[in-house]
Amino acid sequence: MIKARSIAAITLLAMFGTAPLFITPLGAEQLTDRAKEVGGKFMCVCGCNQVLTGCNHVNCPSSVPMLKELSGALARGDSEDAITQMFVQEFGTKVYAEPPKTGFSLVAWVFPKVCLLVGAGLVVFVIARWRKRPAPLAAPAGGAPGISAEMLERARAQASRETQD
Amino acid sequence: MDVFGSFALLLAFVCAVYAFGGGIAAIITRHPLLIKSTRQAGIATCGLIFLATISLEYLFFSDNFSIAYVVSHSNRDLSTFYKIAALWSGQEGSLLFWSFLLAVYVISVLLTYRNKNGELMPYVGVVMAGVQIFFLTLNNFVASPFKALASPGADGVMNYVARADGNGLTPLLQYPEMVIHPPNLYSGYTGFTIPFAFALGALLARYPGEKWIHLTRKWTMIAWMFQSAGILLGAHWAYAVLGWGGYWGWDPVENASLLPWLTGTAFLHSVMMQEKRGMMKVWNVWLVFCTFLLCILGTFLTRSGVVSSVHAFAQSSIGTWFVGFLVLIITVCFGAYLKNRDYLKSENQLDSIVSRESSFLFNNLILLVACVAVLSGTLFPVFSEWFTGNRISVGAPFFNKVNIPTGLLLLFLTGVGPLLAWRKTSTESLKRNFGWPLGIGLFAGAVALVFGFREIYSWVCLILCVFVASTVGLEFYRGAKVIRARSGASFAASAVDLTMRNTRRYGGYIVHMGMVFVFIGLAGAAFNRDVQKDMRQGDTMQIGAYTLVLQGFDTRPEKNYTAQRVLVEVLRDKKPMMMLYPEKRRFNTTVENGTMVAIYSTLKEDLYVVYPGNSPDTDLPVLHAYLNPLVKWIWFGGAVVVLGTLVALLPNRRAVLVLSGAQQPAAQPLAQGLASPVTLREGHD
Repeated sequence: MIKARSIAAITLLAMFGTAPLFITPLGAEQLTDRAKEVGGKFMCVCGCNQVLTGCNHVNCPSSVPMLKELSGALARGDSEDAITQMFVQEFGTKVYAEPPKTGFSLVAWVFPKVCLLVGAGLVVFVIARWRKRPAPLAAPAGGAPGISAEMLERARAQASRETQD
Repeated sequence: MDVFGSFALLLAFVCAVYAFGGGIAAIITRHPLLIKSTRQAGIATCGLIFLATISLEYLFFSDNFSIAYVVSHSNRDLSTFYKIAALWSGQEGSLLFWSFLLAVYVISVLLTYRNKNGELMPYVGVVMAGVQIFFLTLNNFVASPFKALASPGADGVMNYVARADGNGLTPLLQYPEMVIHPPNLYSGYTGFTIPFAFALGALLARYPGEKWIHLTRKWTMIAWMFQSAGILLGAHWAYAVLGWGGYWGWDPVENASLLPWLTGTAFLHSVMMQEKRGMMKVWNVWLVFCTFLLCILGTFLTRSGVVSSVHAFAQSSIGTWFVGFLVLIITVCFGAYLKNRDYLKSENQLDSIVSRESSFLFNNLILLVACVAVLSGTLFPVFSEWFTGNRISVGAPFFNKVNIPTGLLLLFLTGVGPLLAWRKTSTESLKRNFGWPLGIGLFAGAVALVFGFREIYSWVCLILCVFVASTVGLEFYRGAKVIRARSGASFAASAVDLTMRNTRRYGGYIVHMGMVFVFIGLAGAAFNRDVQKDMRQGDTMQIGAYTLVLQGFDTRPEKNYTAQRVLVEVLRDKKPMMMLYPEKRRFNTTVENGTMVAIYSTLKEDLYVVYPGNSPDTDLPVLHAYLNPLVKWIWFGGAVVVLGTLVALLPNRRAVLVLSGAQQPAAQPLAQGLASPVTLREGHD
């Protein structure tokens, strides 16, 4: 039995432990492309709902000139903030791929985190409250004087419920 | 046939109104004949909806171009396969299809429980009829698919006309998955009506005990399975057709399908606490309510034009109806809850923080937070416009940043939950159950680091995937070992036997394993890369280990479209491997074009080649190639999720108490003397 367990454990270890060998870390080979990186922070405004660098429409009336503009700005040495301002002035706030972390847009970022914190607090509170409640009396084996048939039946039903499926 | 279809729909509406009104009267009077007649009215409603649906399909197959909906979504050359799919390709038809699927569920429920649960069923029937009335109202009076084509004459009077041919089906929808993806997704959306009807019905009826939970478990799982399959099929369709190299763009319509899936998943977990411990009754009822509300909200988002999406139906005024329906449901749910909340008194009592109950609470929290994050992100452009006057868009980068950590937390809990015992987990048990899986996971992480894995989220995901897979593997191993010791059967046969003895628990494990595969696939996205190039004949393009050589270009006329294909030879390490044929389709009836991506898919990576058209500058074919690692794991994982759900739906072969003589030590005896030999450290059931 111990041998079988060891074989199974070693097989599992070998299977999962060597899994990463089959996954080539392509990221290491990928060239850094500044335009791609910055372009990924804006949306294409053609209606495809893709980031600027993700729009795959050939001759897209939006992404093609936007990418040209972006390349030009990067060639001039414009900062990312300046490029953002330029695009927002030209296309409006719908050009953001993610809401800026200022003003009203901050709500989009903060809200899920607040929900997580409040929710976690609530869960902890609920667990603490439930733990304080007295545990229901357990029926002694074989029953005992003072334990009604109904209580015993309830206990049996509970045990059956909790061990079924 | 259009008149027949219209009449069937109208009659279905009348029957649904009777089933609703008569049902309420039956609840008040408890008259057996009235109860029976309203149930039969419910069945008749469904039958009539089936007839209306068949009528519309008949109009498609008979090329009846005097009907506006048929003209807009079909043409003579459209293949039979897509004439079936044309039913749900537009607003009106898809709403009829919604009614059709709802009718399938309703008739199944009415027939399954025709002689059972007499106290509860009239309430359930009324709720189901209420939902049917809403959709039949839309089918009859707001978006009828049987409207005749009419054009104004010289005198200004509308004349009925017939066209020689139709406009054809949108090219994007002419893909095999479009025939199976929407039915799956809609079956998920409509299927959640049944647990909603039972939950609301039980609350209104003050139906005793946990019976409504037992009654709806299978229906919820069926709806959840269809929703899961629908989401993944939609992702695969986007991957293979849209040609942007990805499968999930956090588009509002995609998000809309994810929302009820998240709450439905939370419900499937938390419901176990009510079944086993009588806990969280209020929470479960509201989870079901929210899941149904999110189904309606998702439909509203898809159809109202309130958020922009490439998948949405044309903008229309139908959204107002959905808002009204949402307000009505919320009012009814709140009213029912406030009136009968004392009925939901729970026996909440927790022995230890380290218990299955706690893990379910956290699991629900994470799922709900994910749901809130997706919903708030999806609606943020609308809110920002309301509050600031500027519509601020929210794209994939935001959703990825917010949801990836949440997803990883959930994956962690997927591994932890099944290892914890109900009520209390001892330190000994923690060591025994967590030692190996955690060790294997960390070992995998270390190996990954050594081999240059530097993407932090993917690295954590890998560790967690290995950890969860090990927990599932060990659960099967331990159980099968006990059975093998008793029966002498092979290990595989013992594992199958084990699964069939407790299908719910081990089916759940299979679902968890499927989710692990899906996460493995998602983790690969961090390493995607792509190359785009204008190509002359004989030109080559290098991506990863693959060399793509443009061998030619041809045009292939088909019945409904003309395909312009690029012939691409693929070499690997300079050795010829295969030919790929990405194509662009020009449809005869529409100015829109479609793309067909050529994909060479392996478990390691997908070589994904798109021919989006010719470059406007050089007039040369543009080839866009992507190398997407591990994508196949997502589709494989989806299939495993469906398989696991199907297993969980099967009845147990034998009672689990057969295990009582097993050598496996019991982790936590429940009540000494009552069930001591039975292991209480139950799995995912």
